[in-house]
Amino acid sequence: MAIKRINGVQLEQMLRNGLANLRLQEAEINQLNVFPVPDGDTGTNLRMTLEHGLQSARSSTNAGEYLNSLSAGMLLGARGNSGVILSQFFYGFAQELAKDSLIGPGELRSGLIRGYRTAYEAVIRPVEGTVLTVAREGIEHIRGQITRSSGIDVILSMYIAEMHKSLAQTPELLAVLKESGVVDSGAAGFILIFEGMLKQLRGEQLESAEALPAAPAAPEGPDLSLFDENSAFVDGYCMEFILQLMNQKGYDRRFRLQDYIRALERLGESIVCVQNEKRVKVHIHTKKPAIIIQYSQKYGEFLTFKLENMQLQHNERDRSLRTEKPKPLAVVAVVNGFGMRKLFESLGADFVIDGGATMNTSSQEFVEAIEGLNADAVAILPNHKNVIPAAEQAASLISGKRVAVIPTKSFAEGYFSIAMDIPDSTDTENRLNQLRRGREDVITLSETTASRDFSWHELTCRKGEEIALRNGELCCVGTDWRSVVVDALALIEDIDDKETCVVFRGLNVPEADEEALAETLAERFPLLELSFVDGGQEIYHWVLGVL
Amino acid sequence: MKKFVILADGTCDLSEAFQTQYDVRVLPGHITLPDKTEIPAFLKWEIYTKDGFYADLKKDPNGFTTAPPNTAEFANAMEEIVRDGTELLVMTISGGISGAYQFAYTARKQVLEKYPAAKICCVDSLRFGPGFGLMAIWAAKLRDEGKSMEEVAAWLEENKNRFHQAGWLDDLSFVAKKGRLTNAKAFFGTLAGVKPIGEFDYNGLTTVIGKAKGAKQAYEVLLSYIEQTGEKLSEQIVFIAQTNRLPQAEKFRDLIRERFHPKEIYINDVFPSCGINIGPGLMAAYYMGKPISRDLSEEKAIIEQALSKG
Repeated sequence: MAIKRINGVQLEQMLRNGLANLRLQEAEINQLNVFPVPDGDTGTNLRMTLEHGLQSARSSTNAGEYLNSLSAGMLLGARGNSGVILSQFFYGFAQELAKDSLIGPGELRSGLIRGYRTAYEAVIRPVEGTVLTVAREGIEHIRGQITRSSGIDVILSMYIAEMHKSLAQTPELLAVLKESGVVDSGAAGFILIFEGMLKQLRGEQLESAEALPAAPAAPEGPDLSLFDENSAFVDGYCMEFILQLMNQKGYDRRFRLQDYIRALERLGESIVCVQNEKRVKVHIHTKKPAIIIQYSQKYGEFLTFKLENMQLQHNERDRSLRTEKPKPLAVVAVVNGFGMRKLFESLGADFVIDGGATMNTSSQEFVEAIEGLNADAVAILPNHKNVIPAAEQAASLISGKRVAVIPTKSFAEGYFSIAMDIPDSTDTENRLNQLRRGREDVITLSETTASRDFSWHELTCRKGEEIALRNGELCCVGTDWRSVVVDALALIEDIDDKETCVVFRGLNVPEADEEALAETLAERFPLLELSFVDGGQEIYHWVLGVL
Repeated sequence: MKKFVILADGTCDLSEAFQTQYDVRVLPGHITLPDKTEIPAFLKWEIYTKDGFYADLKKDPNGFTTAPPNTAEFANAMEEIVRDGTELLVMTISGGISGAYQFAYTARKQVLEKYPAAKICCVDSLRFGPGFGLMAIWAAKLRDEGKSMEEVAAWLEENKNRFHQAGWLDDLSFVAKKGRLTNAKAFFGTLAGVKPIGEFDYNGLTTVIGKAKGAKQAYEVLLSYIEQTGEKLSEQIVFIAQTNRLPQAEKFRDLIRERFHPKEIYINDVFPSCGINIGPGLMAAYYMGKPISRDLSEEKAIIEQALSKG
């Protein structure tokens, strides 16, 4: 039979199981923290927040009463950004259910909705791609499916499934996650809590928190040797405190949360600030803790206070990265232009060097890039014929790492090379084969304005004329860039057998030109599959890779 | 012997004609449209034309979402069938990409509480779309041969790992975004001119096992892959699925027909339940063959060999 209603005692058991489930994976959640935002340990913060709530709550068969005391405990025990958000979620949940002694499907739905809404309100600038998104989509996507006869367990399992979907998408919403290849840690931890709750409901009780092997508790403290008189200090402090607003004489009793937040915003970032009657809980990243302390003391005194040097955490994270298992193969690519960088990164390049307009990357730059990569082997895509020698020299200078130079002579060759790569494969030989195969048979056309008079074989151009190069050699001259591109393509002997043309638009070339070119090419070469990329390269207005 | 009912969830992509011909019943899931209205998933182009749907999807990939039938819907559908003692085989989309199997399984438990004598088997197909649909047809054919429900369910468990997908997915952004591809992070970005070749892995997720440069090379590699992984294709029905790649699918069908002479070969549409999650870039053949290796190493080697020949 589906479980239709739960009381306060059942809810408490579920939450305890949620906590146990979170503890089991606390270390993994901590690992999801995104480098280089060195902001403590999400898993530990969530765990401690929930733990504090459970420890301070008074058991009651009345669900509303239980939630009320639980959420009060969580608000006070909240740690870190994620902990504050979690406590706000339960605060909203508790508010919604304050008068309900039993929780049925309708109550659960309303509670989950009020919970995420309260959490949104607590954050100054809600960021999508975090636990906020996951908690919102989790319920919003299923609320229509919840009826009076839905079982609590069914609702939770739909909620969890929907949150998992949402979680998988967090990297899409938050670039920093995508770059690090992780999902949002706070959201992942949030889901674990609900999964533990559902397990309890289905009769799967995890060992009680006490009986669990020592949880991967908060680290013993940072290695202080990682910060010294020569260290750069750019990350600032992570500051957290609860401020008790005071009625006594000598304190300013006109505390207004909005004004207070506005003042904090000038002093730091990542601000979370919530007020519960006469207590204010604050989380902020700042380089100026003293000013915040002084300002806050105008209104009251600190109940708790925590200040951590984030640079220290950052450096520690750097060190642990170095002890991680090396990748079998990393790819280094030389590009020019922001769009090109983005493209290569999105296709799996591990390190992208901007060679500048003249593509004059040095061996030294390659050596540094290769040495900085945690990989057994490195493939280099020079993407310009003048860069190949420097890359090869760098390869000969490196010992202890295999370095393969894939002699890509243009961005277009480099694109097809990396597009053929299979970045998640562990088979290095196969990947190198794919990279080499990718560049074969690619014809590169580059269009620009001649910077001086020039002759090549039978062709002559004057400064200011439009020219196209084919694999680096002058092939077309004209006065109209569009006809030059079309002519250069038409000159390819077997152009009718070609399948694909990727066009990289240069820096400062208007988008309207791209539309115009797309139209012209589609009309002239209807069988060619066209793709445009905002390359942002200097010098060449257009680079085309034809295959 | 009394004939049992086969009930597949709506991601099986079997058109009405196939549903009738093989007597497979379908339980649709849900689709949310960009304007937030929710409609039952459909296997017939009525409110949308296929081209219109995929054009809208391309414009607003995140606007559409899908949900499987929930536990209550499964339970109701099951109850309806087993009430009079009819046996029921439920097949669901891969548990690796959807909660449908979980929901069906929970629903089964509920129904069995009410009808303890009822006979219901749930099979996780570990496939989606026409790959799943093809499996349902195999189940129906075995039923026609007189096999019992338990025998058919056992056969499916034993053989589901032999249903292959040989094709390309040239717009991986959808699959990656929706978390329905292994190691999704490696596959963002455009892949103009390159055709990633996808096969099902052991857990029913689509995995890129190789990449071909251009369609021409891709067709060659795929034919060679089918040759080495397929078994007795001349006795089989082959499905070719395409989301929005009809001309390519027609070419692929002709090439397969010419080379392998399958008993029957059809081009199937991929309807929104799967299409929303896979995007417009799928073009693949589905057939029965050798068991898929646990880490796909054998399959990857076949592709590598075919690529190095070209």
